Amino acid sequence: MLDVRSILSILASNIKATGLPVPAPREALYSWSEGLSIPKDGDTLLYTGGLYQLLPYIEVYSSQLAKLEDKRSGGLLLRAAGRFSSLSRIAGAIVRPSKREVEESKRILQSIVRLLDAAGVRVAYRREVDGYSGVLLYDMGLDDDFKKHFAQVARSLAQTGARTIVTVDPHTTHVLRSVARRLGLLPELEVKTYLELLAENIDNINFKKGRAGTAAIHDSCLYARRENVIAQPRLLLERAGYQILEPRRSGRLTYCCGGPIESIAPKLSSRIALARIGELADTGAERIATMCPICLANLKRASRTAGGPPVVDLSLLLAERLEA
Amino acid sequence: MSGPNTIDRLRTWISETAGRCIYCGFCESVCPTRPLGPHRGYGPRGRVAMARLVAEGVTPLSNTVVESVYTCLLCAACETKCPVGLPIADIIRAARRLYTLEAGFSAREEKGRVPAIARR
Amino acid sequence: MADAIRKLVRRLGPRKVSTDQALVALYAREPSGLQGRAWAVVFPESEDDVRVIARTAYETDTPIYPQGSATSLSGNAVPENGIVVSFERMNRILEVNIIDGNVVVEPGVRLDDLNTVLEREGYMFPVDPASSAVATVGGAINNGAGGLRGAKYGTMREWVLGVNIVLADSEGTLLRLGCRTVKCRQGYDLTRLIVGSEGTLGLVTRAILRIAPLPEDTVYALAFFPGLDSLMGAFTALRRSRINPFMLEFMDSKTVEYASRHLDLPYTPKGDMLLVGIEVNREAAQRVLKDLENLLADHGAERIITAHGVEEARRKHLFTVRKNLFAGQAGLTLDRAGPGRRIRVMIEDIVVPPSRVPEAVKRIRELESKYGLTVFLGGHIGDGNLHPAVGIVEGVDDPQVVEEWFKDVMRIAVQLGGTVSAEHGIGLLKKEGLRYDLESRGSLKALSLMAEIKRVFDPKGLLNPGKLV
Repeated sequence: MLDVRSILSILASNIKATGLPVPAPREALYSWSEGLSIPKDGDTLLYTGGLYQLLPYIEVYSSQLAKLEDKRSGGLLLRAAGRFSSLSRIAGAIVRPSKREVEESKRILQSIVRLLDAAGVRVAYRREVDGYSGVLLYDMGLDDDFKKHFAQVARSLAQTGARTIVTVDPHTTHVLRSVARRLGLLPELEVKTYLELLAENIDNINFKKGRAGTAAIHDSCLYARRENVIAQPRLLLERAGYQILEPRRSGRLTYCCGGPIESIAPKLSSRIALARIGELADTGAERIATMCPICLANLKRASRTAGGPPVVDLSLLLAERLEA
Repeated sequence: MSGPNTIDRLRTWISETAGRCIYCGFCESVCPTRPLGPHRGYGPRGRVAMARLVAEGVTPLSNTVVESVYTCLLCAACETKCPVGLPIADIIRAARRLYTLEAGFSAREEKGRVPAIARR
Repeated sequence: MADAIRKLVRRLGPRKVSTDQALVALYAREPSGLQGRAWAVVFPESEDDVRVIARTAYETDTPIYPQGSATSLSGNAVPENGIVVSFERMNRILEVNIIDGNVVVEPGVRLDDLNTVLEREGYMFPVDPASSAVATVGGAINNGAGGLRGAKYGTMREWVLGVNIVLADSEGTLLRLGCRTVKCRQGYDLTRLIVGSEGTLGLVTRAILRIAPLPEDTVYALAFFPGLDSLMGAFTALRRSRINPFMLEFMDSKTVEYASRHLDLPYTPKGDMLLVGIEVNREAAQRVLKDLENLLADHGAERIITAHGVEEARRKHLFTVRKNLFAGQAGLTLDRAGPGRRIRVMIEDIVVPPSRVPEAVKRIRELESKYGLTVFLGGHIGDGNLHPAVGIVEGVDDPQVVEEWFKDVMRIAVQLGGTVSAEHGIGLLKKEGLRYDLESRGSLKALSLMAEIKRVFDPKGLLNPGKLV
C-alpha cells in the first residue's frame, strides 16, 4: 500500500499541468495516426481517450511506484514527489517507455481504424481534440478536478460538430457515455465503442475463411457490468473464425484484472492479475483476448510471470483476420 | 464548487445509502481484493460499513479506512450479488470524495506538510 | 483488556492484532441485525497462533469470540466486550483424499471455494447453506449448518469426521478429535458435540470432512399447485415412489406472488410452488423427468416447467423465484421504508416433520392478520425446515411485535413436533426458544447438562460467552 495522498497529489498535478495522468509528450497521443489519411471532419469522430497510447508510460511509472512499495525510504521519496507536484521532475529521465510497447499501442489504434473502415464506418480524427478523459480523477474521488478537466474535453468535442463519438476503451466509454451524462456534462452527443459499431456493421466486414485458433475472453468490468458490451466481442471473434473459450467467470460476472489499483497497491494488484490469468489459462486457449488497455497491460505482465498464454488486444486478433 | 454544504450532503447520502446494507456478506464472495487482503476492510461489506461509520462521524477517517476505500477496484462485481441492490461502487467513490474534501486536498499547489499514510 | 492486547501484540506480532475502531466495528455485526462491541480483532494464521490466543485469554480473563464470515442469523457471531478471533487467514485446503473420501481443511475455507476445488475431481461437499459463497467451514461446523440439499444429505453433523480444537485453558491445549474414517468409535462422540456448539466449547482449528461424488446428471421440475393440499399430495407421492430428491423447495402462493412481483419470468408464477431436483444416472434422466412430470400433473399441478441439468434449469429460471425469497422481502420492505430509512430482514428457521408442513403454513398465515406483518414463507419441504421471513423498517415497525410474532411461530413448531432452530443455531436470539422447546418436552434438565458441559470445556467461561446456554 502506497501513500494515497501523494499518489492523488501527483495525479491531479500532472493532469492540471499537462492534461495527462502521467508525464508524457503530447505527440504520444496522436503519433499513431501519422501517415494515415483520416478526414478531420465528419459526423462520427474518433476520440481515443489516450489510454492505449499512455499505457507504455504508465507502465514505467507503475514499476517505479512498485519499487517504492518495497523500500522503507519509498514513502519519503514519494511524499517528496507529491510535494513537488510532479514525479517527472524527480524522475523525468526515467519515464522512457519501451519502444515495443509504444509500437504495439500504435498498432492497436491503427487496427481499430482499419476495422472500422472495413465495416464501412467512416470516422474523422482530430489530433488537437484527442486527449485524456480524466477518468482517474473521477475514480479517485477528485470530482471537482474531474469536472474542471472534463468541461474542456466536452467543449472541444462539441466544437468539432460531430454527432457521434467513437471510443476505443471501456473507461473512456463509461466516462463519456454514463458519467458525463449523469453529471449533465455531455448532453447532445451519442457515444459508441468501436466494438458496437463493428458489431452493427458486421456483414460488411470481410474476414478470412477458415479457423483461427482458440481465444479465451477476458471481459472488461465496465463493458460487461456498466455498458452492456458483452455480446459484441463474442460475435466479432466468432465471425473472425476464432473458437471462443469462456473462463470460469465471464460476461456480467467477469473478474477484474487488478489494474485499477496498480498505482495504489501494486502487490495486491499483481496478485489479482495472477489469479485471473490462472482462470483464463485454465480454459486451455492459445491466446487471451482483452478489450481494455489496463487489462491488457496488467494481464500481459501476469501471464509473463506465470508462464501463461499470450495476452492480445481484441482489435489485433480481429485485424489479423481481415482479408487483405 | 465544494463548500461545507457539499460535505454535509455527501455525508448524508453515504449514511442513507450505505445504511441500507443488511450485512449479509454475499458481495465478499466475488470481490477480487477480499481473499487476498488482510481483513474484512478489503471487501465490499467492510468498505460500505466503514464509509457509513465515517460519514456518520462514528469513527475518524483513519489510515485503515483510507486503505480500505482506496484498494477498491470499482469493478462492481459485488453489485451483481447484492440482494438490496446497493450502488456499492458509487458509495466507495463518495467515500473517496469525502476523504479528498476532508483532507483539504485539491490539485492546487500542495502547501504545508503531507501526513504519512499507512504503507503495507 | 489493555494487558491482554499488549500480550497478544507481543506474542503474535502487530500484523495479527488490530484495535482500529473502524476495523473492529466490522467484526461486531452480523446480518441478524445485531450489533455488538469488541476491543480488538486477532487474525491467527496457524494452530500455534490460536493456542497463543487461547492461553493469553485464559491468563488475562479475556472473553474471545470466534468468527468465520459472520453470516449467522441468530447472533452466534456477535461479540460483547472481548476479542474477536477471525479465522479468515487460516484458509488453506490441506488435503483432498479422493480414495478415502475426505478433505482436511482449515476453518477459514469458504464452502463454495472448497467446492470449486472438489468439482475438478468430480466430488462435492454437499452442505450448502444460502450463504455458502461466503460461509466458512469453521462457521458451518459451529453453527451446525444445513442447506438446500438437507433432505438428502443432512447437515454438517453428517459430514464432519473430525476436528482439531483448542481449549481456553492455561496451555491452550490442542485436541485432535475424530478420525479420517467413517467408522470411528472413540468413546463419547466429542466431534459431534463440537458440531453446532457455536464456539462455546473450543476453537476449531482444522476439520476432516467427508465428501460425496457429484451426481452424473440432474433433472428438475418447477410446479405450481392450486392449493397446499394438492402440493402435499404430490410430495407424498414422491416419497412413496422412492424417489429421493436432493432438492425439494416450496413457497406458498402468497409468497410466490410477493417474491415474483418485479421479476421477468418466462412462465406465470401463480399458486403454491414446489421445486424438485433429482440426481440421476445419465441414462435414466429422460425417464425420471417424464415420471416426475406425470406425477406432478396427476396431483393437480397447473404449470410444470422441467429442465435437464442445472444449466437448463438456470436458463429457464426454475430457481429464480425461490432465490428471490430474501431479496423479495428486502425489496418489499425497502419500498415500504421509502428513502432514508433502514431496514432489517429477519429470516426465521423452524422445523416440523414434513407431514405437518401444511398445518404449519396454515397456522403461520393465520398469525399474519394478528400481527399485521407481511410474511414470506418458503422452505425445504423435504426436511420440514421453514423460513418465515419478515421485514422491519427501523423507526416505523415495532420490534416488540416481531418478537411476539416469532414466539408464536416457535410455539407452532414445537406443538407440531418440531423445534425452534433447524440450521441457523441458537446464538442469542433463540435462547428463550430453546428453553421453551426443552421445557415442553419435560427435559429442562438438558439445559443444565449443557451448562455443565460448557463449564468442563471452558471453566472460565471465556469462549463466546452468552451464546447458546
